[in-house]
Amino acid sequence: MKKQLTITTEPIDEAALLSGRLVSDGMGAVVYFLGVVRGTEENQAISAIEYEAFQRMVEHQFNLLFDQMEKRWPIESVRLVHRVGVVKVNQPSLWVEVVAPHRGEAFAACQWLIDEMKRVVPIWKKARP
Amino acid sequence: MHIVVHFYSYFKDLTGCAETTATLPAGSKIDDLLKQLAPRYPELDAMKRSTLIAVGVEYQARDYVLHEGEEVSLFPPVQGG
Repeated sequence: MKKQLTITTEPIDEAALLSGRLVSDGMGAVVYFLGVVRGTEENQAISAIEYEAFQRMVEHQFNLLFDQMEKRWPIESVRLVHRVGVVKVNQPSLWVEVVAPHRGEAFAACQWLIDEMKRVVPIWKKARP
Repeated sequence: MHIVVHFYSYFKDLTGCAETTATLPAGSKIDDLLKQLAPRYPELDAMKRSTLIAVGVEYQARDYVLHEGEEVSLFPPVQGG
């Protein structure tokens, strides 16, 4: 399974990510997810979210999750980009892509990865008014 | 032994710092470290039920036996995405 992890302070460039997509002949499903900063947090209007990461541990924990994904599903590739620093409302903070032979495993793996990320990957957010 | 302790997210606000050091007897566990930090950082101690603990880049339980030079990180539940 090919794995690509990017933790960045730069805006997520969806066009560049899409143009870099590689899908071999045996693959029939590409699922990708874009997480976007909402304009409210706990019913309060906000202008942005500031993301903080424990970078070394983030990389390690994502790699552990990728290893588990590879054991559970026949995935060809996973690419994940997570922003750190200040991300304004309506801007993407997370981009995840999973390429697999069939949609069932692609959807399941993508959902599982995001759920597990929210459980174990040390990234925190702080709303900015 | 000397242990470096890092704080993340709002734990930095609760402690007023991003890191500190602790000196503990050999064979001490994470739980011993937390007990030593409690009077120094009472607001952190109040969060102990939800505190996540890592040694290096791995999560560890409170009965983990610490070793000289290890780095412990204390932080609240994660919120990526």
